Amino acid sequence: MSKTDIQIAICGSAGEGTIAAGDILRSALAGAGYRIIAFDAYPAEIRGFGKCVARLRVTTEQVYSLKEKSDVLVCLNDEHGIPHIGEVRDYGAVIYEAKSIVPLAEGAHVSAHIRPGQVPYPAHIRELSERATGGPRSRNMVALGYLAGLFGITREPFYKIIEAKFKKKAGVAEQNRKAFDAGYDEGKATFQLDDVTFAPPEHKSEAVMLNGNAAVARGCMDAGIDNFFGYPITPATTIMEKLAVEMPKAGKRLVQTEDEIAAIATTIGAGYTGARAATATSGPGLALMSEMLGLGIMAEVPCVVFVSQRGGPATGIPTKTEQSDLNIAIYGGHGDAPRIVIAPTNVDGCYRCAGKAFEMAERYQTPVIVLLDLYISNRYETVMLPGKPPFAPNCDKPLAEQDLGPGYRRFALTDDGVSPRALPGMAGGMHVVTGLEHNELGRVNEQADMHETMSKKRHEKLKAALNHPDFWPCRRFGDEGQVQVGILAWGSTFGEALEAMYRAQKEGIRCAAMKVVMLSPFPTEAVAAFIDSCDAVLVPELNYQGQFANLVQSRLGRQVHRYDRVTGAPMVVEDIVEQVRRLIPSASQRAA
Amino acid sequence: MNAPRHHVVVGSGVAGNQAAETLRSRDPESRVTMITVSKLPFFNRYDLPRVFRGERDWRKFIIYPAEYYLDNRISLRRATQVVSVDSARRTLFLAHNETLHFDTLLVASGASPYMPAELVEYRPQMHGFGSFRDAIAAADALPKDGHVILLGGDTIGLDLGRTLLDIGCRVTVVIEKHTFWPHEVSADERPRYIQALTDMGFEVVDAAARGQIAAVRAGEPGLAARRVLFRDGSEIHGDIVMPFFGVAPALDFMLGSGVDIERGLLVQPNLRTTNDAIYAAGDVCQIWSDADKRYRFYYGWKNVRAMGELAAHNVTGADEPWVPTQDEGLQLTADGRIHSPFWEYA
Repeated sequence: MSKTDIQIAICGSAGEGTIAAGDILRSALAGAGYRIIAFDAYPAEIRGFGKCVARLRVTTEQVYSLKEKSDVLVCLNDEHGIPHIGEVRDYGAVIYEAKSIVPLAEGAHVSAHIRPGQVPYPAHIRELSERATGGPRSRNMVALGYLAGLFGITREPFYKIIEAKFKKKAGVAEQNRKAFDAGYDEGKATFQLDDVTFAPPEHKSEAVMLNGNAAVARGCMDAGIDNFFGYPITPATTIMEKLAVEMPKAGKRLVQTEDEIAAIATTIGAGYTGARAATATSGPGLALMSEMLGLGIMAEVPCVVFVSQRGGPATGIPTKTEQSDLNIAIYGGHGDAPRIVIAPTNVDGCYRCAGKAFEMAERYQTPVIVLLDLYISNRYETVMLPGKPPFAPNCDKPLAEQDLGPGYRRFALTDDGVSPRALPGMAGGMHVVTGLEHNELGRVNEQADMHETMSKKRHEKLKAALNHPDFWPCRRFGDEGQVQVGILAWGSTFGEALEAMYRAQKEGIRCAAMKVVMLSPFPTEAVAAFIDSCDAVLVPELNYQGQFANLVQSRLGRQVHRYDRVTGAPMVVEDIVEQVRRLIPSASQRAA
Repeated sequence: MNAPRHHVVVGSGVAGNQAAETLRSRDPESRVTMITVSKLPFFNRYDLPRVFRGERDWRKFIIYPAEYYLDNRISLRRATQVVSVDSARRTLFLAHNETLHFDTLLVASGASPYMPAELVEYRPQMHGFGSFRDAIAAADALPKDGHVILLGGDTIGLDLGRTLLDIGCRVTVVIEKHTFWPHEVSADERPRYIQALTDMGFEVVDAAARGQIAAVRAGEPGLAARRVLFRDGSEIHGDIVMPFFGVAPALDFMLGSGVDIERGLLVQPNLRTTNDAIYAAGDVCQIWSDADKRYRFYYGWKNVRAMGELAAHNVTGADEPWVPTQDEGLQLTADGRIHSPFWEYA
């Protein structure tokens, strides 16, 4: 059985339908049974400025990240396409507009930059769009058709997606289909010279294609979310958009608040009433929410906060990815404010972490932050979702009848630090809740021993989260036993780390990788054991300070090698492999 | 500081590549751009018969790896068609609407397979051999041990024919005035060479004896895929029909440029056209021959390569005349086979 492993990049200006073309392509190929990992890069401006790039990796086997080189580049626009020609591998294909309608200066056409090893495919994209639909707007569909025809991909999955996408606009669907067909015919008639081959998938999988934010929304729904309060912010907005469609169908409430402070306040309020409540934001929003988060921690209120990181500080690079909100997620806010922070490493993880976050919030009576980033939020993957939601519907600590009554102790000191929780309106459950330090009854108490006792309670109860049912706080991959190099990664970077590990192993390096999903409380013992089994440990992450490396070193006192990047783009697998190679001498030294 | 000179070479065959290489070595500071309509980098078209032996990977045919062009700073622009030349402004106009300035232009655009006017309408029924794609298409259409009809039978076609015979195909050559082109074979010698074809295993059909070729049509159901009809009403059948009537210079883009053209670009012995900044080399040009008192073509890999080199020399300051480097006579070997020196390449 031959394998397919093809990465396609579609490049154009905002407003040219670049991202839409990528969406249709990945959906069609997923429908045809391929596995997909896809990620779109787009500018902060809405339309008419800047460059959009839709990238997707199409495979018949499981992979974990995008490749650094694409096999096919589709240029919808000369200006934006030219800088990306270098990302196409030798004998890969470059598809571009055969003829400009405006005179071009020397070197302004894509063909001037195609490298000798790459295969040029000039296509009459504009002309075919105009002939098929009467205008140039469907150039993206012509280009998609050309690509499908050139590589012999059947038309049907594309028709299906076009019809689904424009089901309420039959005329638009028809125009798009015509444009697709026009491109398809030209592509099919073109002699293929590259070595890109789409081998058919062995069997059609039942996988669905989701991006990280859609998976979060699905996880929320499957976990039985009751309320969502949010304020739009890139790249978290689509969580709210998805939920705004799904929650009303299930009789649940979603409210767009006036700002992030209101969003967290209402989320905590809803959580206090016993609802499964969540909000979603990005770094700037989390900064605004920090004070209220402290209230949630002090009042021991379950709630979930999804945070999708982007380049900062301030407005920063809002449409580019970064992992620089780890510190604020774990430590942000005033006082000793412990909270649970978990970070999924792939789209499937987004689904599972979203659902588990509600369980944990209830079980440990605390805000839970699910730390995403733009790369994972917007990254599409084909994932297998369980037939039945794998999340427990109610994780509250059982409340015995004898707990209730006039002396009900909402903040009772217990062995596990979690107090039986009465909800508002529950007979015998009347209690005081405040942001001030309090005693077991909830009444204000600023005594030194009480503050110490309650601080300990709030911290210690979270440790049990490390053993939360059906949840891996961290997990080791690769070679067993002592290895030369270990890669310790978190969040979206782990996919690249895992691919790098496999590549290093192929080079004969004994290598292992560990993903750390639970960042607070920190799985100290397991991570320490991993580090001790490695001659050298590399921590790749997308922030300047090495925030995760700092966390590891401060918790464990072990030295790690840092690889910090802040390019606004995801980590590059080959760069990690190169760092691994560099560590081999120091690994040998340490082993000796 | 002056901008480096921009040498543009149109064509990326033997002449064009040799010219680009020479320009780079003689004018290291210059820009060298090579433009070709082909999607492939320079490949060995003399090797194309290997396609019929099952070699389908074009990478096995290319002469230089991709790094060669990068290392030599030769900007290779493929899939790019020049539509016209403004020789006064030293500007090329490209089909995709880009203009390109040159300081010197070296035209080495080669030649395309020639098709007699009366057969042009039957082109869809024939398989060409002018490109890698053509060769693949012809090989795909040919069944194992199938029957190939070569119309005309120039030396390119006969070279392919040798391979086809070698792999077990039946090969019929329909001889007419272009047979053995570009060799000039006298009427006295012609029967000997035609007999040699027969001795080599070709089946020979004389078009003149049948009143010339009238048409090429699709075969009838149950018969071979193609029919060649003659004016006397006779016909022959084969699996594929391939025309080999010689080549014609590819110079449409030079029409209107102000440069003198007869059948090819007319050049002096130093390969300069009637414009001081424009030179030509290879199958596209007719070179003034003092001996023959006419402009004439020179063919063959060795000649063409030498022309590319000479033109580049002269573009970069030399002024040397063209001297043919290759024997042009068709030969008969001791065992009675024909041999063309144009089949020799290295």
